[in-house]
Amino acid sequence: MRRAAFSHSNGRTVDSIMLAQQYAGIKRDLDEKGIIFSFSGYLSEGILYSLGEALREKMTLEETDGPTVRRVFAVFVEQMQNIIRYSAEKVTGAREKPVELSAGMVTIGMEGGKVFIVCGNTVYNADVPRLRERLEYLKGLDKDAIKTYYREQLRETPEEGARGANIGLIEIARRASEPIEYDFLELDEGKSFFCLKARI
Amino acid sequence: MESLKLPATGRTPEVDFDFSQGVLRLSGESYPDDVATFFGPIFASLRAFLAEAGGHPIRFDMELLYFNSSSAKALMNIFQMLETAASEGRSISVTWCYEENDDSMQELGEDFAEDLQHVAFTLKQIPADGAS
Repeated sequence: MRRAAFSHSNGRTVDSIMLAQQYAGIKRDLDEKGIIFSFSGYLSEGILYSLGEALREKMTLEETDGPTVRRVFAVFVEQMQNIIRYSAEKVTGAREKPVELSAGMVTIGMEGGKVFIVCGNTVYNADVPRLRERLEYLKGLDKDAIKTYYREQLRETPEEGARGANIGLIEIARRASEPIEYDFLELDEGKSFFCLKARI
Repeated sequence: MESLKLPATGRTPEVDFDFSQGVLRLSGESYPDDVATFFGPIFASLRAFLAEAGGHPIRFDMELLYFNSSSAKALMNIFQMLETAASEGRSISVTWCYEENDDSMQELGEDFAEDLQHVAFTLKQIPADGAS
């Protein structure tokens, strides 16, 4: 028995051609940008784990050396956890077992022989100046200065209200092989879209 | 005092704290989804162990291949506990293992060693197993 969805009504046929065309277009666009995978939507710790494993498996299959796999993975984890913790778009789950879903996107690709990871999420405009200041400071540091900054922050007690370490951004800058890149795009409703790119 | 043994999970390291022998070991990877929940019991038992009378020497084997920045804070806390105990006269040695060619982990070992005055700290290179 054919199911209704596969019946040959003309409308459906046209729809499905457009569907494939549309998504082939998206895929081609991703491929052209060297993107290996990209995830957009609600992120959670569970998704971090699964995507992280997939990333490591792929790199290991391609015989990337252990330390490089670990560096890429380390940047990936910090980027994902930044979204999960600081995205301005969140859904909090059931009472008994709180699940945190935070909207954002993560993109991993290859560019000029280097792996890059870009994360994007919305942030409140009120938080932008402080974040921008920290990123600009980090961007201006050379390798040794990043290392010293990391050592200092490792010994700092966490800031009020901060979850986890504030050294996440420093860790990203440290494991990256080039200065980090960032950008903000102001949206409406008091929010901005924030992007952070690291090349490993 | 009873040992603290936790098997490794996908995101948390194997914990093998044999308090009767004074041999403590962390191995594997550490990026728990909730650092406080994972490290809380570890801090508690280590604190209790260090508070016990008796000068049993302590050996701490740090064999983590990877830890995230939140875990780094927790590890720093452990190292500070050990340094305090060592400064009070306890004999404590720490061996920080890193795989050959893993400059990041070697550098992190140096970062952690910086403050240690009384703990005997050794960086030890181990062969890479090829996997991550």
